[in-house]
Amino acid sequence: MSRSIKKGPYVHESLLKKVEVMNSKNEKKVVKTWSRSSTILPSFVGHTIAVHDGRKHVPVYITEDMVGHKLGEFAPTRTYKGHGGSERSTSLR
Amino acid sequence: MVDNSLITIGKIVAPHGVRGDVRVIPLTDFPERFQTMKYVLLDDGRKLGIKEVKYHKQFVLLSFIGLSDRNAVEELKGKIIKVTREELVALPEGHYYTFDIIGLAVYDETGTFLGIVKEVMPTGSNDVYIVEAENQHSIMIPALKDVVKIIDLQSKRMTVKLQEEWE
Repeated sequence: MSRSIKKGPYVHESLLKKVEVMNSKNEKKVVKTWSRSSTILPSFVGHTIAVHDGRKHVPVYITEDMVGHKLGEFAPTRTYKGHGGSERSTSLR
Repeated sequence: MVDNSLITIGKIVAPHGVRGDVRVIPLTDFPERFQTMKYVLLDDGRKLGIKEVKYHKQFVLLSFIGLSDRNAVEELKGKIIKVTREELVALPEGHYYTFDIIGLAVYDETGTFLGIVKEVMPTGSNDVYIVEAENQHSIMIPALKDVVKIIDLQSKRMTVKLQEEWE
């Protein structure tokens, strides 16, 4: 069963508070969180949130298309190293 | 003798059908590159000419010149397909191959050595460069323009501006 609309999306209280404080001061700091089940709200866009993957905090930059998803979706808990030296690329966002 | 400078682009996982096709899992960001290839290099050093390339689900189907039945390609199962560095797909500016990033020395803006990039981790948003410091601790550096200031592949050096953390 899906979450009641009346309650609104779930976000860990202290995480939301920290993001709101940063937005009001117009500053950007990395916020560490263990709350993988928190929903990404529009107010998070442009911030970097370090989401716990069970071992370490993975810094995730929040963009507009991530709104509505959960933070945990962007910090994989299982690591597959794959084949070394494959033709995979990386770029700066 | 297998050349370590070769780059992996796929793995043959199974024969497909009875006409000598093989299923290849592409291990590249450019699976369409197989269409323009004339031959493949295998990890055992063999070079096989490509007869036909097709796409089926998540696989690339390859058939090779001189191998026209299932029994002939059965032994190719598990082989890795490689290309030379010169055959790599040219990347647009600001894009880098992960094997070039791994091994770079990371410095902060003041010139302090932070460590060596050990791994590039995709997250679904930005990539994360895992830097192993001298004290065996790892630093997670998000691949963002605000953080990674300079990537110099010639001198194998990356300069970063670490973000302030919430206390």
